[in-house]
Amino acid sequence: MNTACAHIIDDDEAIRDALQWLLKTRKIPCVTWPSAEAFLAALTPDWHGCAVLDIRMEGMSGLECFDVLRAQGNELPVIFITGHGDVPMAVAALKKGAYDFIEKPFDDSDLVAVILSALEIDAERQRARSQNLAVMEKLTLLTAREREVMELILKGKYNKVIADELDISMRTVEAHRSRIFEKMGVRSAVELAQTLKGIDA
Amino acid sequence: MSLPYRIARLTWLPLVVFLLLIVALLWLTLIHDKETQRKTLISDALWMGQSLHFQFERNAAQLAQIAPELVTSDISPQTDARLRQILRAETSLIRITWLDAEGNTLGTVPSRPAAAHAQIDPDLIQFARNVTRPVYGPVYRAAQGGHQFKVYVPAFTDSGLLGISVGVYSLEALLSRDLPWWFTQRYRVSIVDSSGNEIAARSHAAPLSDTLTHSMAFEPPGRGLQLHIVAYREDVRWIPILLISSIVGLAAILLWSFWMLRRQLVRRVDAEQALRGETLFRKAMEDSLLTGLRARDLDGRITYANPAFCNMVGYSPEELIGMDPPMPYWHPDHIESLQKTHDMILSGHGSRAGIEVRFMRRNGEPFDALIFEAPLIDANGHHTGWMGSIMDITERKRIRELARQQEERLHATARLITMGEMASTLAHELNQPLAAINTYNSASLNLLSAEQTSRDELHEIHTKIARQTYRAAAIIHRVHDFVRRSEPKWERVQLNELIREALELMRADAHKRQIEIKSRLSNALPQINADPIMLEQLIINLVRNAMEASAQQPRTRRIVSVTTALQPPHIILSVADRGHGIPPESAKRLFEPFFSTKQEGMGMGLNICRSIAELHHGRLTFEPHPEGGTIFILTLPVEQESVPQ
Repeated sequence: MNTACAHIIDDDEAIRDALQWLLKTRKIPCVTWPSAEAFLAALTPDWHGCAVLDIRMEGMSGLECFDVLRAQGNELPVIFITGHGDVPMAVAALKKGAYDFIEKPFDDSDLVAVILSALEIDAERQRARSQNLAVMEKLTLLTAREREVMELILKGKYNKVIADELDISMRTVEAHRSRIFEKMGVRSAVELAQTLKGIDA
Repeated sequence: MSLPYRIARLTWLPLVVFLLLIVALLWLTLIHDKETQRKTLISDALWMGQSLHFQFERNAAQLAQIAPELVTSDISPQTDARLRQILRAETSLIRITWLDAEGNTLGTVPSRPAAAHAQIDPDLIQFARNVTRPVYGPVYRAAQGGHQFKVYVPAFTDSGLLGISVGVYSLEALLSRDLPWWFTQRYRVSIVDSSGNEIAARSHAAPLSDTLTHSMAFEPPGRGLQLHIVAYREDVRWIPILLISSIVGLAAILLWSFWMLRRQLVRRVDAEQALRGETLFRKAMEDSLLTGLRARDLDGRITYANPAFCNMVGYSPEELIGMDPPMPYWHPDHIESLQKTHDMILSGHGSRAGIEVRFMRRNGEPFDALIFEAPLIDANGHHTGWMGSIMDITERKRIRELARQQEERLHATARLITMGEMASTLAHELNQPLAAINTYNSASLNLLSAEQTSRDELHEIHTKIARQTYRAAAIIHRVHDFVRRSEPKWERVQLNELIREALELMRADAHKRQIEIKSRLSNALPQINADPIMLEQLIINLVRNAMEASAQQPRTRRIVSVTTALQPPHIILSVADRGHGIPPESAKRLFEPFFSTKQEGMGMGLNICRSIAELHHGRLTFEPHPEGGTIFILTLPVEQESVPQ
């Protein structure tokens, strides 16, 4: 189940079925779960897409399910479906980082739009995450000395200053510098900084 | 020391004085008695001395008279007779001897041996001659025993001494013969010589008293002789003994009665003290009681009021006691009903469960009191009045009222919450199929706008839509079922009865709000088919609305009239108030659900009322009261042809 899809979690079979039909007619892949427990039991960290959670359910409620997801470090975007009067709960969930909420009875095109945008966001995140993985891999190629030099380069210091601080010759610094650029696959300090942005070195 | 004992001790003083007086009296009586006896003794002794003296004088005179005959001639028979006369047995003169002038013995009677002559003392003869009167000689012991003395009596003629006659007295004879019997009975008489020896005595066998004695000179014969008189022990003198013993007896009775009196007094004082203690205790109890107590006589006049009651009403006991109804602490608005209650109690029909009344303190503050009346029965079992205990229940009532209001509010809130929950559940439940239908619908629209439309898929979706509509219908049906559970229970009921019950329920509330409920119920109403609980609820609702509409009105307008009338084929029930009336803009919406002019109202009251009326095939309408206010009119058919089962 590595492909991105919308996970619909609702204890009402009719709603599940209807939503499945709706998404099917819009060509959006989806999987349905009769309860939060069933969903969480099957969940693996590599799942992509989004979760459509009914707030009011038998057993574990949507909110509880959301809390468990976040506690596991799963950043799957979550869209809540709320009944009449559950809006304050949904707002609270939004503040905790839920993606959006749709009030029942919902406008189906709105719901589809929200699901699509959530899927898009997730895909974007997925892309960023795979890019970061590549940069991390390159970083592992650097020696300890090269890492030191790189950090100073990222701080925008000149070779001379770096040589003074590390108590090495200007030439050595230049040699390190060219090797770093080579290993990281960049051509300038600016490009290096851009690549490393968002990665906790 | 306590007072009564001091009193008891003080009373000893007169007692002691009294006893002393008695003793003094006794003593004085004894002294006086003794003195009297002594006086008697002395006078008796003097009398006896005198009597002896006379005896001697007479004897001497007789001797002097007879002497010439004896001396001058032989003794003639006359002389002899006279001698014998003198020497008669009962005198103490035992012998007579006569002598001539020279002192020679001429004769003696009774004749005696000559030896007797020698005892004649010539000196004494001489002496008698010289003094020319009788001379007594000394006492001597006679030869034949006993003591004797002589008297020498000279007899003279014109020429001189003629002769001397000598009389011999025997002391023993003197004592035995010359003393009268009563004297010797009473006294012991003895003769003592000058040296103090008793030489003769006349005595009885009785022991002698040594207290009453008297001695006097025995003269003649003189020569130091003494007559000694001793009173015999007195015979029992009953009168003084009786007197004294009666005095002692009386004193003893007096003492006894005094002692009894004292004991009685002590007991009485003790009893009084106990009584006082008891009274004080009871008074303290009454005073510290928080319940007011008041007693009334059979006419209803107050005869007693305890401090709690006085504090309650603000009048002093002096002001209250003797008061006639109407009492000043009766609330002026309730005087009639209070008078009625009062009369009821006096006629003995008071309730044992207590009567709730409204009183007013002196400062005008009204208060509610709970009165328990009981007949006052005195110690003899007579019914003398009425005893009432009064409790100020204003605070209690206020709290009760507060609790009631709170409870009502709670109920209202609970009802609201229940309704809210029901509505919320209903909304959620209905939302589910609606949302599903909506979504299916969108999906089918999507399918329709797609290039290739699958009829099967469309069919499937629409089947599902239909299923969801059934589901929604089922939910609606369930709600209806729930509502149907409160179906009416039909009974034959009398509307008037229901009204009375409802008004009874409302009475306390009306009393609190000072609203007068007037009911004019027609006697001609037939029974109708109705659900009594629903109908009663309807009546309560209408009356409560009327009361709430009256609440802000002045007292005179706080009147709710409940009227029933028969107008075939209908029964008309009208509930009229003189309240603020209904503004036209509210009038249109009055029966709408959730419309209320009241702050806490749910807006269901009149709606439910109308539903109930319609359920009974009746109508609920309203019209303005001609004098201001509103009249709600319930019209019910007398005979309901078909009653829903």
